[in-house]
Amino acid sequence: MRLTQDAIFKYGTILTLLIAIAIPFLIDSMFIINLLVLMLTFIIFASAWNLLACSGQGSLGHAAFFGIGAYASTLIATQSGISPFITIFIGAAVAAFIGVLIGLTCVRLKEWFLAMVTFGFAIIVQTLTVSVLAPLTGGWDGIASPRLVSPSIPGYQLIEYYAILVITIASIAAIWYIMKSRIGLAFLAIRENELEARAAGIDPVRYRLLAFALSAYLAGVAGALMIHHIGYITPEIYGVENSFWPVTYVILGGLGTLAGPVVGTIALTIIWEGLKVTGLTFGRYVIVGVMLILAIIFLPRGLVSLPERVQEWVRRRRKKGPLPELAGS
Amino acid sequence: MMENLEVFLQIIFWGLYAGCIYILLATGLNLIFGVMKIVNFAHGEFLMIGAYITATIFFISGINPYLIMLLSMLALIGIGAVVERLCFRPILGTGKLNEIFLSIGLIYIFQNMAAIIWTDEWQSVKSPYAGITIQIGPLSVPLDYILIMIFTAVIICGLYLFLKKTTTGMQMRATSQNRKGAMLVGVDVERIDVISFGLGCALAAAAGTLWIVSGQIFNPYMGSIPAIKAFAIIILGGLGSIPGAIIGGLLMGLAENGAAFLLGGIWKDAISFVILIIVLVVRPTGLFGEKGD
Repeated sequence: MRLTQDAIFKYGTILTLLIAIAIPFLIDSMFIINLLVLMLTFIIFASAWNLLACSGQGSLGHAAFFGIGAYASTLIATQSGISPFITIFIGAAVAAFIGVLIGLTCVRLKEWFLAMVTFGFAIIVQTLTVSVLAPLTGGWDGIASPRLVSPSIPGYQLIEYYAILVITIASIAAIWYIMKSRIGLAFLAIRENELEARAAGIDPVRYRLLAFALSAYLAGVAGALMIHHIGYITPEIYGVENSFWPVTYVILGGLGTLAGPVVGTIALTIIWEGLKVTGLTFGRYVIVGVMLILAIIFLPRGLVSLPERVQEWVRRRRKKGPLPELAGS
Repeated sequence: MMENLEVFLQIIFWGLYAGCIYILLATGLNLIFGVMKIVNFAHGEFLMIGAYITATIFFISGINPYLIMLLSMLALIGIGAVVERLCFRPILGTGKLNEIFLSIGLIYIFQNMAAIIWTDEWQSVKSPYAGITIQIGPLSVPLDYILIMIFTAVIICGLYLFLKKTTTGMQMRATSQNRKGAMLVGVDVERIDVISFGLGCALAAAAGTLWIVSGQIFNPYMGSIPAIKAFAIIILGGLGSIPGAIIGGLLMGLAENGAAFLLGGIWKDAISFVILIIVLVVRPTGLFGEKGD
């Protein structure tokens, strides 16, 4: 019996969900829970980046939206005393609003220009945070951020984990719904051929802006979740590294697929933490870089295409199999 | 009034000096873009490797760093050729986003390899001419800065002559104008790709060397910001236009140092992107870029 792609996807999803729900009962380690929470926020972040890439726009400065969401949510929560569970979504709305503004300059640009502008934008936001906005943001020192679940509640880490798990699942479901709807089809049409998309009555500027808004919103949610989990925020959040991680996760997992960012983030987190045991510091980044380049050249559709590739390879081997025998007899 | 003038001249001089580094980087990027139509976001990492090669040879032998620059440029031609052959050639023509993603991989590899080999501590090189200043009008200028400007001019003129007078240079220009046409008349475009990429990297090595001999401290992460600014410059100056890169480089150096003086040093990096965004809002194809696809 051969597994179809749909079946792999379906069983994979169910299995991942079961593991995600069961894992705190299987492994009683705060370190692992902490790691899983960070991984979940990065799954949302990578999925958000992937959503923008689906509309043909590759951002190199998504840390800007990640950070804006986190700062906005933190500031609103500390100033007004509203629960972080609500401010996360308000902070993300701020990120989405700024995403639209930066999107307005980007929608008419070619790929390289867009990558440049988004990269530069992250640097501009960081500069603003430590200069003009320093009285609010605490400058380079950063400020404390209220925890998502107060540490005084017993088992707060578990509550936090499940809350973030629910938000992650909801985000991915939302992306699935968007990509399945007319909007998602419009994104794909624009990415494949803008001229044909326009001929079909799709306004590329409007849909690209929508992609920017949605992607910035989800990136903002991810950033806010991460910061409310850590409990502290500094301008380092706008760093180049935070812009490059989602790209790396998505490329490794599979660009433009729903499962890609999830698979990529989980796989790379496991590899990353596994390599920690070997005591490598800079070497880990070298390995990630090599993996990224190998994936781009040899596995352009990412890890999610691996089962398909293996099946294809097996089929070709079977076909070739009997030939040498014939030649021998 | 006199004091203001002096500050003003000082800023212009700093701007010209910074502009030289940007010109070399931006010209290298333009050369690669012109011929291969790819954008290498990891170009700053070649600047960094070039700087480290110069510094290492200088620490070991003590030869004049301006001479070592030639060795460093030769080494980077080799490294560039290998990177082109192994990484960029397989993805040529597979979609514009791929080369951006590939560059991220290269950035990870080069920065951290450098950190493994040379540690990530800040280092500095002491030029043999450190401390010597020359009086120009009201300004006293370090001799190193003048040498940097002269070397930049020499390298750019050399490149110009190479492109205009030699057969390889003409083949490079032909490839950049029309790749298929060049193939038809018998130009080995893959060889030209390797040469252009290598030369672009050599220019980055020169930029790195000239940067550190002026006494600037450096570490493995020094390259990314100048490279991205060099991109901003070639977008402003028009992709593929070498005169555009020179004018853009000088303007960027001036704008940056002016902003650092007026708004505070923290704005030095951000200002180039503010300019870039403003320009792109007004003209999405760059200042001198032609209306294209």
